[in-house]
Amino acid sequence: MSTHPSSSWRMYDWQLIQDAPTSPVMHMALDETLLEEVAAGRRPPTLRIWEWAAGAVVIGRFQSLRNEVDLDGAQRHGIQVVRRITGGGAMFIEPGNTITYSIYAPVELVARMSMVDSYAFFDRWVLDALASLGVEAWYQPINDITSAAGKIGGAAQTRRNGAVLHHVTMAYDIDSAKMTEVLRIGREKLSDKGIASAAKRVDPLRRQTGLPREAIIARMIDTFRAQHGLTDSAIKPEEWQAAERLAETKFGTEEWLRAVP
Amino acid sequence: MHGEYKIPGGKLVVVDLNVADGALRDVVLSGDFFLEPAEALEWMTAALEGLPADTPVETIAARVHDAAAHAELLGITPEGVAEAVRRALQGGAQ
Repeated sequence: MSTHPSSSWRMYDWQLIQDAPTSPVMHMALDETLLEEVAAGRRPPTLRIWEWAAGAVVIGRFQSLRNEVDLDGAQRHGIQVVRRITGGGAMFIEPGNTITYSIYAPVELVARMSMVDSYAFFDRWVLDALASLGVEAWYQPINDITSAAGKIGGAAQTRRNGAVLHHVTMAYDIDSAKMTEVLRIGREKLSDKGIASAAKRVDPLRRQTGLPREAIIARMIDTFRAQHGLTDSAIKPEEWQAAERLAETKFGTEEWLRAVP
Repeated sequence: MHGEYKIPGGKLVVVDLNVADGALRDVVLSGDFFLEPAEALEWMTAALEGLPADTPVETIAARVHDAAAHAELLGITPEGVAEAVRRALQGGAQ
């Protein structure tokens, strides 16, 4: 009956981490730490739902800081600027305005598919969850989750030592005016989509569902649990400590932020 | 100098550079593409640094291709990088 390739997901004892709000820099560090823990086999494959303790601009691993971010505008609005370990585009985040999650999995889960196909594979459960809330969303390759009314979110991946990190940010609500004050949004990026404004083409989930953010997250977790199985889990003390070290020595440094000036 | 090229069906490739004594200098290659491993960004940037500014785009693409031979590229192509370089050189000062 099911059309989902859930048998391969079902090979693992998926863990759920849903933690208290934490800082943007710690989120970057936790992603690297948990990816390495899964790669080393010390942690089973994991789904982590993020809660943000501060507003942030998160730029992609290969993006130019000066080209993407208006640092004065970010400072004026108290927005922290961080660089993540995955490629992809800049995201503007305010607590309560986005739904962000990470999947840490063995590469073998997607070993037989192309990278492009693996993006859609990792988020099929999310599209099902959204459909159950009346939002018809689909994957627009390479890494966009979109709908007839506009773009909803974007995914990014990186792979390391036999594990893959797949993380996604979806817009729940958006302050477009503030976004244009902290992000420099070029026009060339949109030229093959024929749309002139990045703010205009996003249609957040609040407008599409009319539901509280927590209700959408709860439906997502229910859907993942039903399709793939899910055990409640938490970040271990030693994982926190490793992430704190990385936040201090890497993700919080000017050198990392300006890795691509 | 600044050049951008949106790869059809892919991502945005951006090149910032200077020209000194007829050669590309201070090259910064960036964008919202994906690379494995991440070091491939440095490999491709190094392949552009110091190139004569009159290098044909096909030759630029070939050099970038060779530099990234052991990397996985998603949303970015050597030809797209060469096109962004060409646009930077044509566009002049930012």
